[in-house]
Order: sequence, then C-alpha cells, then structure tokens
Amino acid sequence: MSYELNVAHLYGDLMNTYGDVGNILALNYYAKQMDVTLNVKVVSLEEDFTSAAYDLAFFGGGQDFEQTIVSQDIQTKKAELTKFIESGGPLLAICGGFQLLGHYYIGADGEKLPGIGALDHYTLAQDHNRFIGNIVIKNQETGETYHGFENHQGLTYLGKDERPLGNVVSGKGNNGEDGTEGAIYKNVYCSYFHGPILTRNGDIAKHLLIAALQRKYPDVDFSKQEALPIPATF
Amino acid sequence: MSFRSGVATFAGKSSYWFLHTFLHGGSSLPGKITLKLDPNILRTLGAKYDVVVITGTNGKTLTTALTVSVLHEKFPTILTNPTGSNMEQGIVTTFLNAKNPKTGRPLAVLEVDEANVIKVTQYIEPKAFVFTNIFRDQMDRYGEIYTTYQKILDGVALAPKATIIANGDSPIFHSKELPNPIEYYGFDDQPDTDMKAKPNTDGVLCPNCEHILHYHSLTYSNQGKYFCPNCGFSRPELTYRLTKLGAQTPTSSKFEIDGHPFKIQVGGTYNIYNALAAYAVGRFMGVEPEQISNAFNANQQVFGRQEVIDVDGKRVTIILVKNPVGLDQVLHMIGTDTQPFSLVGLLNANYADGIDTSWIWDGDFEQLADRDIPTVITGGERYKDITFRLKVAGIPDDRHIVEPNLEKVVDEIKKVTTDHVYVLATYTAMLQMRKILADKGYVKEGLGI
Repeated sequence: MSYELNVAHLYGDLMNTYGDVGNILALNYYAKQMDVTLNVKVVSLEEDFTSAAYDLAFFGGGQDFEQTIVSQDIQTKKAELTKFIESGGPLLAICGGFQLLGHYYIGADGEKLPGIGALDHYTLAQDHNRFIGNIVIKNQETGETYHGFENHQGLTYLGKDERPLGNVVSGKGNNGEDGTEGAIYKNVYCSYFHGPILTRNGDIAKHLLIAALQRKYPDVDFSKQEALPIPATF
Repeated sequence: MSFRSGVATFAGKSSYWFLHTFLHGGSSLPGKITLKLDPNILRTLGAKYDVVVITGTNGKTLTTALTVSVLHEKFPTILTNPTGSNMEQGIVTTFLNAKNPKTGRPLAVLEVDEANVIKVTQYIEPKAFVFTNIFRDQMDRYGEIYTTYQKILDGVALAPKATIIANGDSPIFHSKELPNPIEYYGFDDQPDTDMKAKPNTDGVLCPNCEHILHYHSLTYSNQGKYFCPNCGFSRPELTYRLTKLGAQTPTSSKFEIDGHPFKIQVGGTYNIYNALAAYAVGRFMGVEPEQISNAFNANQQVFGRQEVIDVDGKRVTIILVKNPVGLDQVLHMIGTDTQPFSLVGLLNANYADGIDTSWIWDGDFEQLADRDIPTVITGGERYKDITFRLKVAGIPDDRHIVEPNLEKVVDEIKKVTTDHVYVLATYTAMLQMRKILADKGYVKEGLGI
C-alpha cells in the first residue's frame, strides 16, 4: 500500500530564504522512494494551523522584516503548534523558524521579538557580525555527520530540555561559544543550516519521514522504509 | 575647473593612457588616482552633462546599453560606462575618458551599483533615475531587498527634482512617498484575475498594511498588477504600458508598448522589462516610438551575453546564472525553444559566484522535467550540489552525465545527440569554460562579457 502525509509549510510565502524550499523538495524526493505521498500546504498569515490536520511541518528562515511580521502572527498559532510538538509531531525549523520556536529573539534594530516558547531556547544578536560559511557537525547519539552552510546574526542558547542537533566540527554553530549547533526536542529538529539541510543530509529527512509515518500509522511495520539507503549527496 | 581638479584630471587621464597603452586594461585605477587627488572630482567632471542613472539588482547592464541605443536616435553624443564599471571609481574613469563635446549639452547614461547611487548624487544632480527591479541577491552583498532599496533612496534623496522612471510592476517601488516626479512602466496585456505569487517568492507583503499581496496579473517573481485585498494598496497608474505580448523564443521577443510594435533579438521576459525601461527613458527624453524601434532592431550586439559558440558542429550557448530570479527566467526562456536541446549545468562557489550554493534550490528546475531533454551534464567545482539538484528535479539517471572536469565536459558536449546545447554556468565556471574553449580554438578571446 502507499501512504500519505499532510505537510504544513509554515509561512512558506514569507519565510523562504537561501533555498530553504529545497527541504520540501528533498522530503518529496525521499518520500517517493518510501512509497509516501506528501500533500504540502503553505500555512501563512491569518490562516489556522490545526495540530490534528498535519503529520509533518517545515518552518524556514526569513528576511528580518518578514520575520517581525511572522513573530506577531505566530502567536495566534502558538497553542496548536505547541500541541503538535508536545504530541510528538515531527517538525524541521531552520534559522528564523528555529528562533521563533524559542522564547524570543533580538531583531535587526535591537528590539526583542517574541517566539512561541514551545522550545526552551532564546536568541541574542551579534553586533554587526554574521556567522557565514561552511559548517560540519557531528551528532553524538547517532554518529552521523551533517554538512551545511550557516549565515546568521543570531546567537542561540539552548534550554535544558534540548539536545543539540550536533557538535561543531568546523564552523560556528548556535553561538560560536558552546560548540552546539541546532536543537532536538522530541521529534523537532532545529538548525541554522542552509544548503539546504535535507538536500545534503538525507538522513535527517529520513528521520522526519519515519517519525511522521510511525505516528500516523502506529500499527504498520516501516522496517522497509527504515532500510532505505541514503547515498551521500555532498 | 579648479587647479586641484585640473591636476587630478590630468593625473587620471595620464594613468588611463598608460594603463591602456602598456598594460591593456585598467578601468577603475585611473578613477582611483583621480579621486585620491580630488575627492570632489565628479562635481567638476559631471557638471557639463545631463545624467541618467540606471540602478537595480538585475538588468542594469542591458537596460543601460539599450537606453544608450535608443537615445542615440536623437542625441549624437552620449557618454556611458563600460560593463561592470558601475562603482564610484569606474564612473570617474568614464568621465575622464570622455572627449570634450564640441557643441551643446551632452548626455551621460550611467549604470550605477545600488549602494553607489549616493556617491554620484553627492556631486551630480541627475536628470532622471531608472529603477529596474530589486530581487534578493544570492550573494547577500547588501542583504535584504528593503535594505537595498533604502541604499538607492539615500542617494535619490540628494536629487529630489530628478524624475524617477520605475518598474511599476515591482511593489517595492511604490512603498515610499518621495518628492520626485515619478513615471511608471509595466505590463498591461492581461485581463484581470485574482491570484497570489507562488509561495517561494520574495517581497509579497503589502508595504502599507503587511498583508499578503494579491495580483490581477503576474509576469514573474513578485512583479505584476498587484493589489492588497486588505487595505486597497495597488499598482500605480502606468505611464508606459506593455499592451501586447507576442511570440517569445530564446533568441527573440515580439511585443507592443503603448500600441507600437517592437521586436528585440533576445529572449526572456526579463529582457522585455529592460526594453520597456529603455523605451520609457526614450519617450521621457522625446525620442519617437519609430526611432526606438529602429534602435531595438539595429543593436543586436548589446545582447552579447548569449553568444553562440560552434564546438565541432554543436551550437553551444553559454548563459551566466547568478541568482534565483535570474536562473528562473533563464530556465523559462530556454523552455520556449521549439527545437530539442541538451543542457549543461556548471556550478562553482568561489567568491564571485557566491560561496553559498543554496540558491540553486530556489530555481525552478522542475519545469525542465517535462521537456524530455536527451542529455543533461552537470559539472564544476560544486558538481555534487548541482547533480543532486537536477536529480531531485526529476532528470533520470540514464540521461544524466556527471563530469566534474570541464575539459571532459567539452568532450561530452561533442557527443550529445542534439545540435544545440545550453550551458548554464556561474561566473567563475563560465570563465573557466570559456578559457578551455579559447585554448581549443573555439572562441577567440577568454572573456565574452
């Protein structure tokens, strides 16, 4: 049989910098190989996000101006997004999306802008500096190495319930100090990686898809999907 | 001219002569020397000219070339800067090289980098500005579209009487109240519908109330007859209207502006915008539509970016790609080809290409999947990225040749089954490819643009 997953592309019309849409394309690419059809819907300003309606969510990075608008609007989706995350909904959040899942971030003009606090991190801003360049990290639990390109002014500090997506092998990471990059909380994966992250690190795409399948079809054996080989693309 | 300006001008002109005579180059160094001796030199050099400044992220070079052609129909002497010399030093050099006009007040049509507009307007009050468009640059040189526009406006603020001739289809050019007279150009060839831009589009927030803009008609990216269903903000009245879009091929476009028929020897909707901008400047300066048509017909060499190279009988078209909107437009343009073709994608990530290759995922390569392209070749220093991009876009493995080495790419090109091959390449990949083709004797020089 074949499977279907409903994917929310959160603010896909506003949060779409640096090829982040490639993550949706990569999810589709691997989903097809797993016999899974993705129904992707952009959920944007003044539109409802209902936790029960989606099996997977993606939240990309945005320009400063767009992100301030999203920071306001996302408060109306806070309860349902938190419910989705707490109930094990798989979500990938990049850059601005990563920041907005946390408590707050400092905007381009130094103003403090709210996130939804679903995850326990917060984000400060560097003074007229950005971390720009190739980055490599290693996830200590899986032993997987991830490749990306970081480009961010934000300095993110993880809370106690979060594990990093990986430890920095080369590059800067969340804040250039503590050696962490990104965050994992339940089935939520966060990162500053562009590249885009799922096109260079198919393993993460696979983790997300498997988590979504197991959550939606709890009685099905997905060992065949789990065995899908992910050749290196980078 | 003051004594200081005189000395500075002499030094600059001498250095230009020296560089060109003995070193065959140097378009910014003479300007640099002159600026060191007299930082205010542009005031002296530019005072004699009526200046048109052309700026924006995409299309500056061709719009400038076309505008010069159009204005030549009426004005005998026009000064312009060579491709790429669009920053302060290059502009000073341009004025230094100018021969003193015999009669009348000459025109200068200058392509000016967005952040350098202020460096011109500090010294010169232009007669007109042309705003082509503002798209996000993958290199993140100046950052966001709003920051880029503000840089332009900082320069325009010093010339409040200059007429702005702007792309009316781009919402950002209607976002700020300005004291200048403004004329807009745009596409007005479609009946009204109600749609949104596709999700992965930049700059779709209403500048007035921050809701998502809708469109009565769209050309590409966020350009079109926009309106805000929430607050009523909408595209301004157009002074110059593209009234009919005719046949488009990769090497030609037919269209009507204000009811007058035109043809240009280059494909791509983005080039119609460039022609529309040149038409608008021409009309603003009193050039008649028939003269503009002559100019468009007579100037095929300004479209030199799409040179066709003969490689042992294969017609090879190398096209520079550098940012998502440009890439999308090139993909759309080659999609209008009625003949079969093969495709080569060459990706590098040196500084001049942009060190982040993520932007290739913003380009809609998926539109090629339906074309049944017999052979696709991917190569360059970042061949892995472009290879996976095309794999995800649906190019089947049995038609896809992966070849990092550009010399071998040339060998593969000779073997394809089609007569025509499009090579899309980033800047340094294009230079490397041209050098190889030059070394093998297929092109005369290493540099084509």
